[in-house]
Amino acid sequence: MPSVSMTVNGNAVGGDIEGRTLLVDFIREHLRLTGTHVGCDTSQCGACVVHVDGTSVKSCTMLALQADGCQVETIESLADGDTLHPMQEAFREHHGLQCGFCTPGMVMTAVAMAKENPNLTESDVRRGLEGNFCRCTGYQNIVESIVAGAKAMQG
Amino acid sequence: MSKVNIRDSVRRTEDIRFVSGQGSYIDDMNADGQLMGVFVRSPHAHAAINGFDKTDALALDGVVDVITGVDWAELGFGVIPTNSAVKENADGTPIAVPERPCLAAKRVRFVGEPVAMVIAETVDAAREARELVEVDYAPLDAVTHPVKTLEPGAPLLHDGIDGNLCVYWELGDGDATETELAASDHLVTLELHNNRVTAAPIEPRGTLAIPDTETGVTTIYQATQNIHALRAAMAKILGLENDQLRHVAPDIGGGFGGKNSLYPEPVVTVYAARNLCRPVKWVNDRSESFLSDTHGRSQYTTVELGLDVDGTFRALRTTTVGELGAYCGTVGAFTSTGGSARTQGGVYAFKAMHYRARAGFTNTAPLDPYRGAGRPEGSFQIERIVEKAARELGFDPVELRRQNIMPKTSLPVKTAMGLDVDCGDFPTVFEKTLAMSDRAGFAARAARSVEVGKLRGFAIAPYLECTGGMPKEHAVVTFSEDGAAHLAVGSHSTGMGHETALCQILSAELGLDMNYIGFTQADTDATPLGGGHGGSRGMELGGNAVRQTAIEIVEVGKQIAAHQFECNVGEVDFEDGSFFQPGSNNTMSMGEAVAASFNSEALPDDLAPGCLNIGSTFERGIISIPNGCHAAEVEVDPDTGVIDVTDFWIVDDFGTIINPLLADGQVMGGVGQGLGQAILEQAVYDGDSGQLMTGTFLDYAMPRADDMPPMTLDYYEGSPTEKNPLGVKGAGEAGCCGAPPAIVNAVLDALKDHGVTHIEMPMTPEAVWRSIHET
Amino acid sequence: MYEFNFNRPASVADALAAVADADDGQFMAGGQTMIPVLKQRLAMPSDVVELAKIDDLKGIAVDGGTVTIGAMMTHSEVHNSSDVASAIPALADLAGMIGDPHVRNRGTIGGSVANNDPAADYPAAVVGLGATVVTDRREMAGDDFFVDLFETALAEGELITAVRFPVPDKAAYMKFPNPASRYAIVGVFVSQSGSDVRVAVTGAGPCVFRAVAMETALASDFSADAVAGIFVSGDDFNNDIHASAEYRVHLVTVMAKRAVAKAG
Repeated sequence: MPSVSMTVNGNAVGGDIEGRTLLVDFIREHLRLTGTHVGCDTSQCGACVVHVDGTSVKSCTMLALQADGCQVETIESLADGDTLHPMQEAFREHHGLQCGFCTPGMVMTAVAMAKENPNLTESDVRRGLEGNFCRCTGYQNIVESIVAGAKAMQG
Repeated sequence: MSKVNIRDSVRRTEDIRFVSGQGSYIDDMNADGQLMGVFVRSPHAHAAINGFDKTDALALDGVVDVITGVDWAELGFGVIPTNSAVKENADGTPIAVPERPCLAAKRVRFVGEPVAMVIAETVDAAREARELVEVDYAPLDAVTHPVKTLEPGAPLLHDGIDGNLCVYWELGDGDATETELAASDHLVTLELHNNRVTAAPIEPRGTLAIPDTETGVTTIYQATQNIHALRAAMAKILGLENDQLRHVAPDIGGGFGGKNSLYPEPVVTVYAARNLCRPVKWVNDRSESFLSDTHGRSQYTTVELGLDVDGTFRALRTTTVGELGAYCGTVGAFTSTGGSARTQGGVYAFKAMHYRARAGFTNTAPLDPYRGAGRPEGSFQIERIVEKAARELGFDPVELRRQNIMPKTSLPVKTAMGLDVDCGDFPTVFEKTLAMSDRAGFAARAARSVEVGKLRGFAIAPYLECTGGMPKEHAVVTFSEDGAAHLAVGSHSTGMGHETALCQILSAELGLDMNYIGFTQADTDATPLGGGHGGSRGMELGGNAVRQTAIEIVEVGKQIAAHQFECNVGEVDFEDGSFFQPGSNNTMSMGEAVAASFNSEALPDDLAPGCLNIGSTFERGIISIPNGCHAAEVEVDPDTGVIDVTDFWIVDDFGTIINPLLADGQVMGGVGQGLGQAILEQAVYDGDSGQLMTGTFLDYAMPRADDMPPMTLDYYEGSPTEKNPLGVKGAGEAGCCGAPPAIVNAVLDALKDHGVTHIEMPMTPEAVWRSIHET
Repeated sequence: MYEFNFNRPASVADALAAVADADDGQFMAGGQTMIPVLKQRLAMPSDVVELAKIDDLKGIAVDGGTVTIGAMMTHSEVHNSSDVASAIPALADLAGMIGDPHVRNRGTIGGSVANNDPAADYPAAVVGLGATVVTDRREMAGDDFFVDLFETALAEGELITAVRFPVPDKAAYMKFPNPASRYAIVGVFVSQSGSDVRVAVTGAGPCVFRAVAMETALASDFSADAVAGIFVSGDDFNNDIHASAEYRVHLVTVMAKRAVAKAG
């Protein structure tokens, strides 16, 4: 069995895994970090978005072995103890979530978006969410949350 | 955060775990020693099964058991029940309810119907073994169209059910309606299709069943909206007592009605766990969701509207064909019969109405309630025929509505469908919406659209809603000595925010700090009484149950205070979290009362420690009548048929708004699903093969952020209801009622000069393009 | 998915050897197509040979009149490349229309071109610009590369190493996306270089093709009006619940007009 090692949320992790192990399954089943979710099987819904070496990826469409040697960040990396990340805080403040299932992927997407462009406009955000589905909110509050969160991230 | 009030936009408690990835959804849950289950599903829409061979599957490493439909039949368990509110045809004969096994043994009737379950040590082994289960199918002709299935010669799905007909039903006065229609100066007719869709919550369904061999109790975790009724149903099917099953819903990733139904997979999973004495977990993947989750809507309807020469509505007749799918869903024949009939006619005055529905069985996934459960169909029918009447007869669509909307003074009224409309100010809500939509600026916007080669349209669609769901709800408050409170309630949030809103009501009533109120829902142990979710019942039932419990706590608290004040109970008041005796300095905070409630020395003789731990059952007298109005502007590209919904305005009358932020969320989410139905979504079965053509998100078009317009929302609270003490009118499904007609009518407005009078939903680019180029 | 051996070679030679030595070896670029295929259990390679560690497959070079993009450059990298944006803005634009932001962070030009999905965007650029596909053993003209539905001129075990695009005078890409998948129902790439005009159409048929009649018309008059009345034949066009062949024929002309207008 091949072995994999990577840094996840700042921690060195690894193990022997089957080659076919998806990154999302490595995160959820091997590392028991269940904040990253699986919502579809055609790489569209975005519930599984994490960061690999600083860019957002769909962890359901990546093998764990492809992340060997990489820095992986999941939703669990954002809060600082009890203090929420500004983007997480923005989602709460602006009611950018209801059932919460798409939320980790949304927040990770939002953080990546905001890092690339701190001055996101509403239409930047709507376009940038092309790879993220939400069934609950109608998106308006998600967009508001992300615009506000991006500003807050600038500190 | 300390004490909050009703009408505060309190930020949600549950968000802290959701934004941090600390939610606990069914697939996040695992039990020591668990086995993984997957279902073998029929690849045929209709077929006889001549046998199973599970030898190769069982021989695979890691496979523990394979239960086929034949095995299941031999176990002799019950069938999946239906609880149809409509039990009789119009002539009093019973509706046809076919038998639905949990696993098909002899015949399959829709693609995706489960025929076997494979249980293995790992999900990979289970999936591999699934491919080795041999099923000898003999395909039969299939029929997937709700109208075609009722025609002579259609393939028959169920022995003993003639013509595939489940139900024929009527409501209203047929004779009076016929008379009024015949006497009308104008008769407008429209045939329309309410498209079949699927709830598609981002979280698929799943179950984890954990048996306790010592107690004999199996704990079932399920992604469901309805733990009480489904626990009882599962127990009955498996021949168990209710208390042998504990049913718990963890965090749920969206329901919208689709997780309210009783499905076969959880039942077989529970059996497997009990039989193998090990936990068994099954979770659908998305493809399976599309095949096996209940679908929604789906009606082919003829609407007839009779008007006087001056445009006054006289009568409305709706004749519709719905469908059940291969079997009755959990609510049986209700959605296209009673569900769609009640709000016929919308907010308009009618002398007579008549509703006739037939619904039959098709080789498709069973249908059941999906957000709105019949009322969106009803709203669509009335608003489309009114719009058509306006266009055909030369009335202004806004004016025609205005002149026919029931005035406030005409309420309360029992509509011709028998709906008790107690209160509402439909004209004010209508005008308020119109005012928000800047009609004066429309011409300039339309001109700018033309400059860039586009066509702009506007429409306004008032809607009438009614609530539903189980009419009783139970709440229990338990205090701890330090003053913290715990609220357990039998209603069920799958994202709507009850954890916050219901605690908010308790905080407001008792003056408690929100930070010190714990919350439990959806556990037959912790919340043994309850009605789950459905029919927008969260605040109407759950909220009132909490309020009622709080009031009873205050009554007992007054006795504790009176004992301390050494006065009569009647002299004690309660306000802002404090008990006090007017005209004296005697006060006692809620917290002090709680502390005292644990101390027998501080209590009067007739109260015992723990006396403030109170549970109360609230029973609704009658459903409430939410209502409102949606308006939309759209831009259509005539060269491609692409629709851009550019603006959307909503005014809702939900009575008392417990938490405006959360109410906004419900409205906008509903509008999103309404827009989806109008321009994007459709669950499509191939007419010949019966295969589901829209089996992944590659083909089922979900609304995305860039599909949605900016939405402007407002509320009207000037027509409070006395139907429940909180004065709430259930909000959750309304968005689905107003959005489709507002958007469809706006597109038709944009295309009116091209001679387009009707386009079926979903209004895909090609459908729009064809409508322009084929006239 | 079925289990496989996972290989991560550091050189083109090692990658070729790994595939040649395997029972049924397949290259994996970004995995955005292959992984979904494996998840659906539609393929069972014995070996997956991943190309991410091969430096020779990365990089963007602008040299006189050409832009050479390494096969393993992601769509994001191409979209955000200032070199591509200044030399062939239509190409950077197209790359930014593929999939969604997360897919673009992993999907690659080499993977897309080798796969030849009938609804992919890159084939329209390769043909629309007259690009050259460079492999480990030869170079092929874009016009000769895309053969049929999911079929290219690549031999078994042959690896794309780069795609070389000539810089046009003007170019543009217009995409009409499927509302569900956001793949191209019709995508038209138009370019003009001197007197040469190319109009490449993806999404509509089984494989990217050139709309020759449109090219001829545009060669004498590079304007949207010149193609407004020209319709390609839809005989072999795709026909599904999202778009009929007839509608696609119409869209090709609409998108061609809009691409010409966008090209300036």
